[in-house]
Amino acid sequence: MAVAAPAAGQARAGRERQIHLPAQALALAGRSVRSTARQPEMWLPSMIFPLLIAAVNNSAMAKAVLLPGFPPVDSVLQFLLPATVVQGVMFGAVSGGSDLALDIENGFFERLIASPVARPAILVGRLAGGAVLGACQAVIFVVIFRVFGAHVVGGPPAVLVLMAMAVMVTLMVGGITAAVGIRTGSQESVDAAFPLIFILLFMSSAFFPAELMDGWFRWMAEHNPLSWMIDAARRLVLFGFDWSDAAVAVVVPGLISVLTIALAVRQMRKRLERAR
Amino acid sequence: MTIPVEAVGLVRRFGDIVAVAGVDLRVEPGEVFAFLGPNGAGKSTTVRMLTTLLAPSAGTARVAGYDVVTEAAQVRRAIGVALQDAAIDPLMTGRELLRLQAVLYGLPRARAEARSAELLERVGLTAAAGRRVGKYSGGMRRRLDLALSLLHEPEVLFLDEPTTGLDPTSRLNLWDELRTLNLEHGTTVFLTTQYLEEADQLAARIAIIDGGRIVREGEPNRLKAEVGAPTLRIEVRDAQADVARTVLARFGAERPDRAGVLAIGLDGGAAEMTSVVRALDEASVVIEHMELNAPSLDDVFAEATGRRLEGADGDAAAGPGATPGEPAA
Repeated sequence: MAVAAPAAGQARAGRERQIHLPAQALALAGRSVRSTARQPEMWLPSMIFPLLIAAVNNSAMAKAVLLPGFPPVDSVLQFLLPATVVQGVMFGAVSGGSDLALDIENGFFERLIASPVARPAILVGRLAGGAVLGACQAVIFVVIFRVFGAHVVGGPPAVLVLMAMAVMVTLMVGGITAAVGIRTGSQESVDAAFPLIFILLFMSSAFFPAELMDGWFRWMAEHNPLSWMIDAARRLVLFGFDWSDAAVAVVVPGLISVLTIALAVRQMRKRLERAR
Repeated sequence: MTIPVEAVGLVRRFGDIVAVAGVDLRVEPGEVFAFLGPNGAGKSTTVRMLTTLLAPSAGTARVAGYDVVTEAAQVRRAIGVALQDAAIDPLMTGRELLRLQAVLYGLPRARAEARSAELLERVGLTAAAGRRVGKYSGGMRRRLDLALSLLHEPEVLFLDEPTTGLDPTSRLNLWDELRTLNLEHGTTVFLTTQYLEEADQLAARIAIIDGGRIVREGEPNRLKAEVGAPTLRIEVRDAQADVARTVLARFGAERPDRAGVLAIGLDGGAAEMTSVVRALDEASVVIEHMELNAPSLDDVFAEATGRRLEGADGDAAAGPGATPGEPAA
């Protein structure tokens, strides 16, 4: 009996934690969104840089659309919309992992750990906050591109898919940066991982059709999952809604995010174990 | 009634370094207990084990009746924690932090709101509650931290160096707050400090820790009484130091002190002062400075460790306002 009592208590505590998990994750997601919103220096670059790159490409590639093999488009902007969305949310997702590392650096993480918060809520809250911002950013980009004449042929369903893709990309990149942040507990390490993620994006068909590439670069682009995702999203923008394209645009980053989040969870477990 | 804190043979190693080398503790309900020691003595490491942030390498501890390892979740629910280097998010407002804390501790919303308002009033932050914490002064942050740690009405409150880095006024305010808390609400408080005065002023019982071990434990007055004789300090010219030391040896045992000061425990107390002066005069020693001090906690520390806490590291113990926060042990 004396042995059973603590076990029962622990089971009760475990249940209580599960009950509070959604509320706690929501509160932490709210904190994450609010702290991003309060630091314009954090989110402005993720809005401005992708748009600048799109503007530059728009001029640089103005004649490229005439090349045989280039998909028929109204404007280069229309072609670039999915890539710009992905690039923008990648910026934001990196800062999510970087904020998590900062929490560890300055001790806020320890404050959380000392509380009875359900442990998964710490990671879920952080990722969910980033996902909400990612979805908003996708809509903002669609609207801005529309103003400059690039409309989405797939209509509202395609925009919804772009939002879902943005959420998945945020989780995918957020998972890997969170893993690095939790492992190193250093904001600098996360920020150092940032260019690597962008190289992956540039080595895809995000900004140029793979059909017009050659050699090893073409091979890389064609085997880059980011190309599969962006090509599918682009077909929704250029030609209209299609269920299989919608599925590819969401499922590809979704599957990768399962892997990266598993990695982050593993690092979280390790960090919590290390104190044990 | 459950014992708020009880530790037996608590040990924590980091690789080859033994930060805590077998600590036994017992804190009684409603008590303010101070853990006093220099930097790196093992104070923070002990607190981190008691608050479930660090597992002991050996030994056991129960806090609020729960085991810190096997029942960590229950311990976390029952305690309030304000850690020395656990930052408060500077981008959030005081009220937002209290709300987040309420959710983390699973408090019902209505109760959390009422309690937040009450605590903000008590720590004098009602007007500042809507401002971002980044704009708060050091004292305001500590007071907010105190309010946060009290939100869920913990049975035991752990405060790790609550006044390190604060200016004297803020320090006195926080002391008042802690006294009220303990007197009116009966909250058990476990605090660590490197300031003698803080331990002396606040704690009903103290434990002095040095090198990972508790070297003295008890009520401050009883510990001081155990030291017995008051400390006589004199300063003389260097050339006469040896002569003076020989003379002083007749009146009591030498005690450690800072360089340039001769100190003894004056066995006969104040009544012996005239004899000391006469004896020094007969030996032609010129006294440059002389003082007699009732036994202090520093004397207790010196007797236990052979060193002074006061002035031990950059005069940390003497001037709390002067030392910025340093890394935890």
